[in-house]
Amino acid sequence: MYPNVEAYLSELRERLAGSDPATIQDAVADAEDHLRSALEQAQADNPGAAPEALLSSIVANFGTPEETAKAYRDIEVRLTPPFAPVKTTDARPFHVRFFGVLGEPRAYAALLYLLTSMVTGILYFTWAVTGVSLSVGLMVLIFGLPFFGLFVFSIQGLALVEGRLVEALLGVRMPRRQVPFRSTTGIWKRFVARLKDRRTWTTLAYLVLQLPFGIIHFTVFITLLAYALQLLALPVLQFVFDQPLFSLSFGKYFVPIWSMPFLVLAGFLDIIVLLHLAKFVGRKHGAMAKALLVQRA
Amino acid sequence: MEQDANRKFQKELNAGAVALVLLSVLDQSKEPLYGYQIAKRLEKHGDKLSVVKQGSLYPVLRSLEKGGLLESNVEPSVTGPPRRYYRITQNGRDILSQWVAIWQQNTNFVEAILEGTVDVSER
Repeated sequence: MYPNVEAYLSELRERLAGSDPATIQDAVADAEDHLRSALEQAQADNPGAAPEALLSSIVANFGTPEETAKAYRDIEVRLTPPFAPVKTTDARPFHVRFFGVLGEPRAYAALLYLLTSMVTGILYFTWAVTGVSLSVGLMVLIFGLPFFGLFVFSIQGLALVEGRLVEALLGVRMPRRQVPFRSTTGIWKRFVARLKDRRTWTTLAYLVLQLPFGIIHFTVFITLLAYALQLLALPVLQFVFDQPLFSLSFGKYFVPIWSMPFLVLAGFLDIIVLLHLAKFVGRKHGAMAKALLVQRA
Repeated sequence: MEQDANRKFQKELNAGAVALVLLSVLDQSKEPLYGYQIAKRLEKHGDKLSVVKQGSLYPVLRSLEKGGLLESNVEPSVTGPPRRYYRITQNGRDILSQWVAIWQQNTNFVEAILEGTVDVSER
């Protein structure tokens, strides 16, 4: 079946294709070690026997490349924690990484999050500021404290919703349920526990911060997007609809024809840079959300 | 179909047992062993373990090493590629004794059920 050890090893390599390179290296080294030792032993025991025949009985005990590959893959799955950060460096050549972003759903999802973060930012900011100021204002009255209590509980709900958004669009693992409080403890104890919880206050900070961040995100990305769309549409605008690049009180500015390809190319590059930036900012925002919204163990 | 079911059952049974067997072999051995030696020693005990392909011992050895139960060093060999010699760590010995206890408890329980000494009939 296998004329020599190398034939087995190359099939094993094929079967393991797609696994971590370190795993493939380990598996091939292990197999080579075993098969050579076994073959040497077998040849000493049966001098003159054909190596193919010896090798086939060795492989029968050792396992086919398919079986061996499966054993490594099974264990590899168990060893890698499911949410461990992917440390593998992107080995694709630079131009593939640069232009490949056009096909990455993650980049578009991050862009969507960043554009909508101004809307959620306004909602969160309003809720947080109204809640805090009403709580402070009503504190002198009898229902000031219950109001504050309700507000503090509502914050946790908002944090959960925001967490779901962040996980769906930015791909950062966020909590999927509320921090449970034993229902046997009284409302007062639960309230005090929330007040002592660092997360309550960091969540409040996040809700307030979302507005300035949302405004910045929205402004930057909508500007980049607008530029890109105008540059891409420039030939159509100028030649078909006779629209200038911009018009001021003293006249209209049309771009020279020779510069048209460059400007369209610039618009295309703008889109790509925009998507890379969205991915990067999204990752940072996700990290911030995780730091402020998730309870420390 | 039936054979598939048997193979699957055997595989699930082996999943934990292989690690226990490997730890135990290395615990009983005086000198560090390399993969092929371990496989050879297991082969001597007849066909009992032949359901476990020798090739699948190696990834288990590596995962035990990653878990700190084994340690290894690589030494050049005359005939082939350098060999990886495994020996058990102190941590591995501690874990092994716990695993043996768990194994015993498990087999006692399963045997008791199979022999019918435990009443599992409907009350």
